[in-house]
Amino acid sequence: MHEFSLAIEVINLAGREVEKRGTRKIHEITIEVGDLSGVEADAFESALGLLVRDSILDQAHVKILRTPGTGNCLSCQSDFEMSHRMATCPVCSCFPSEIRGGTEFRVVSLVVD
Amino acid sequence: MCETCGCGDAGQFKVHDLNHKHPHNDQEADHGHPHDHAHGHSHDHTHPHDHSHGHSHPHDHDHGTVINLNVDILSENNKLAQLNRRYFAGRKVLCLNLVSSPGSGKTTILEKTIKALIPTRKLAVIEGDQQTFLDADRIEKSGAPAIQINTGSGCHLDARMVELATEKLEIEFGSILFIENVGNLVCPALFDLGESKRVVVISTTEGEDKPLKYPYMFQSSHLCLINKSDLLPYVDFDVEKAIGYARSLNPQLEFILVSAKTGEGLDQWYDWLANQK
Repeated sequence: MHEFSLAIEVINLAGREVEKRGTRKIHEITIEVGDLSGVEADAFESALGLLVRDSILDQAHVKILRTPGTGNCLSCQSDFEMSHRMATCPVCSCFPSEIRGGTEFRVVSLVVD
Repeated sequence: MCETCGCGDAGQFKVHDLNHKHPHNDQEADHGHPHDHAHGHSHDHTHPHDHSHGHSHPHDHDHGTVINLNVDILSENNKLAQLNRRYFAGRKVLCLNLVSSPGSGKTTILEKTIKALIPTRKLAVIEGDQQTFLDADRIEKSGAPAIQINTGSGCHLDARMVELATEKLEIEFGSILFIENVGNLVCPALFDLGESKRVVVISTTEGEDKPLKYPYMFQSSHLCLINKSDLLPYVDFDVEKAIGYARSLNPQLEFILVSAKTGEGLDQWYDWLANQK
């Protein structure tokens, strides 16, 4: 359950941006959570929902973008969607694959005053 | 609220220098007292009061400025970890982050390692636990300087905690610094501390499928110590299977089978340490 630490990181990060830019209000924050990032998007969203009270994100609309995991098979070089890190290649059933996407965990954008 | 799992107070981790520990006597320890009192007054409370609107609002307000950031949420931790890494490199310190589930024998491995290496190598230890100084006490008795970080309710160490601990712990030039992370194979995987290498410890009393259950940890580690080899005749743990599972996730992962109790395999571990630059 590191999602609470990560939610605090997001609030701190948003706070630093607001301070840097001299704005006061954040209307919206968009966060990308990859399916292979090691972060449970639902748990993270719940944690953030609880922690934003009285923070800079209190009034902000939180948008979570989920990015599917993608991999490239090391045996047959097929690209495929990976639902988890242990996924085998759907073409040749081989494992492992190189993870090419879905590890993102970042603040994409803010909408401020 | 706990910054990690939601209970207790946020950010209440503590770094303890054992040399500055304050003794508690019974009187001091027992200073909590119940604080009940009758209320004696009433509170106003409001109820939500929904009603139909009956009119529409124009939707022409300013939507604000969009700032595209694309910032990794762990970037602050990663930045601090990078500073720690530079600090260690500048002092030729080999920093190892030891991770495992609770009870795998990390502290016992460290005790044995310290006793064996302290005559020839400078060592230091950062101990991470939710509560108590017990592990740091054990380590100090083995002969290496140790500092304890109590994470409170937190389930992992982060780079900031390690930075604060290194300020208090005098790490000599050319030392090996062991960081014993909180026993947990999930959360510590995501938090870079600035270590040179990550060492995951599993033991033969656990399931050999542990690497498959906790892939992030095994994918991010460099060495896997399989501890409690002395118990292999009594348990169903299949060493080859465990290695196979872990290698399927991380083909570069190295393995050493050890018993902290009997000393089996520890020489190989010491050689591994000696060979790290």
